[in-house]
Amino acid sequence: MMSDSSQPFGTMLAGFFKNPAVSKLLWPLGGLGIILLLWGVFGYFISENPATKSFSTFGLIPTLEAFPILIEEGKIQSAALVSSYRLFSGLGIAILIGLPIGIMVGQLKLFRELSNSPFQLLRMVSPLAWMPLAVFVFSEWDASIIFLIAMASVWPIIFSTAAGLAKVDPAWFKVAKNLGASSTQMVTRIIIPAITFDILGGVRLALGVAWIVLVPAEYLGVTSGLGYAIEDARETLSYNHLTAMVVTIGVIGYALDSLLVILIKKFSWHKGGEF
Amino acid sequence: MSAIPMLDRKFSSIDFYSIGTRYCSGVSKFLIGILILFSLWWLSVFLITLDPDNDLFLDFGLEAALLAIPDLWSDGTIPEGMITSGYRLGMGLLLSILIGVPVGIVMGRVAWFKKLFNVPFQFFRMVSPLSWEPIAVIVFLQWDDAIIFLIAIASVWPIIFATAAGLEKVDPNWFKVARNLGASKLHMLTRIILPAIAFDVITGIRLALGVAWIVLIPAEFLGVTSGFGFAIQDARESMLYENLMAMILVIGSVGYVLDGICVIFIKKFAWKKA
Repeated sequence: MMSDSSQPFGTMLAGFFKNPAVSKLLWPLGGLGIILLLWGVFGYFISENPATKSFSTFGLIPTLEAFPILIEEGKIQSAALVSSYRLFSGLGIAILIGLPIGIMVGQLKLFRELSNSPFQLLRMVSPLAWMPLAVFVFSEWDASIIFLIAMASVWPIIFSTAAGLAKVDPAWFKVAKNLGASSTQMVTRIIIPAITFDILGGVRLALGVAWIVLVPAEYLGVTSGLGYAIEDARETLSYNHLTAMVVTIGVIGYALDSLLVILIKKFSWHKGGEF
Repeated sequence: MSAIPMLDRKFSSIDFYSIGTRYCSGVSKFLIGILILFSLWWLSVFLITLDPDNDLFLDFGLEAALLAIPDLWSDGTIPEGMITSGYRLGMGLLLSILIGVPVGIVMGRVAWFKKLFNVPFQFFRMVSPLSWEPIAVIVFLQWDDAIIFLIAIASVWPIIFATAAGLEKVDPNWFKVARNLGASKLHMLTRIILPAIAFDVITGIRLALGVAWIVLIPAEFLGVTSGFGFAIQDARESMLYENLMAMILVIGSVGYVLDGICVIFIKKFAWKKA
């Protein structure tokens, strides 16, 4: 009886693991499990060694214990909310400025050639170097942080938009023109749909850069946001709150990045059937 | 680039187009571009300071910045900053290449490794590098080491992902052919894998440089008393805004040169377009 039922159960189990949806989820979970295990072992050794015992709250268990406290106090929610406001305002400005400039770089040869050196120079100014200028110009810290994020993230959007346009088949413009398309229709019916994929790729790069800039920008001056939460945890020596915030930053960043990956896949006509 | 001349004519004035192509060589385009940037800079400060209330903005002007550069050079801020920031950047990038390329190769070649660690690595990539700073400061006794760690942890991910992506594009038949011709594992690495992915690795290094350059400056805001980041912080605290603008110009120029070097190497190793 036992051996009879174990056979189908075994195949059922194998089938369960071979299910593509399940295995797609299980592999990364396994990877995360390995990382967490290493963290747990690391934390154990820190707490066992008398020399490093005072840092034992860096371990996995204290970090996991910090999450309910931080959520109950509302620290994670409010920090995430404030930081996302700054992030999305900065990214929004970067898109509003970067998109038209990127289209100009892609379409106007003279503009492209003359703007290349100034844009590359400005792009390679490390964004945080603008911080004192931003603080001087904007009276509010929030506005300075949004400026820094926009300044950092506008370049990937400009260059991706321009690169996307360069790939567009010139015949499309000819066809559209022959069919009597106006300049506006040219932009809304040809240019925008053709380069949405590249723009989203640029927004993904911009998000990565903005995410790097956000945290150090919030180390200075402000008393809210994810960067401040890290700084606050450090100053109060609550290391488990620190590591919990690091994990939170990773989780939010990963979620935003994945969202863009989904959008990019949705708009990738390059890999679609007809091409 | 020349694929859309029709549009250039449609959207821009034909006269400018022909003048542009006929008389602008690469170098003069570069110089004209920089000149336009400087003119806009000068003009905006000029317009802002037309109102006497805004006289403070004069320190942000082009002349003030250009005059400050010789002083910053002779008092050692720029040359010493280049050496110390360059050392931190170089060590951080070197570490991330030494770790990132092998990990990337494993990720591109070993299916289970990629399945296990793609998501965790993407997660780590999206941990904003500066949030490691408090941990780095506790782990490393020296600020220099903490900064190098921050640069390495920021720049290792682009190198890993670019290396892995480069390897995935390699035609599997090459490995088959090499194996049939009796290539050892070492030969496989030095004769097939590394030449095939050099282009992608250097593209990854270029991305890594961009990220490292972003991280370097805020990392030098705290603790250290040398480097470009410190110079920015110092200019802010002493309210010497002409020094600030001069350092912004220096940081942009050094970054531009480093990025340009990467582009030259990328073009050199671009066998795909050969």
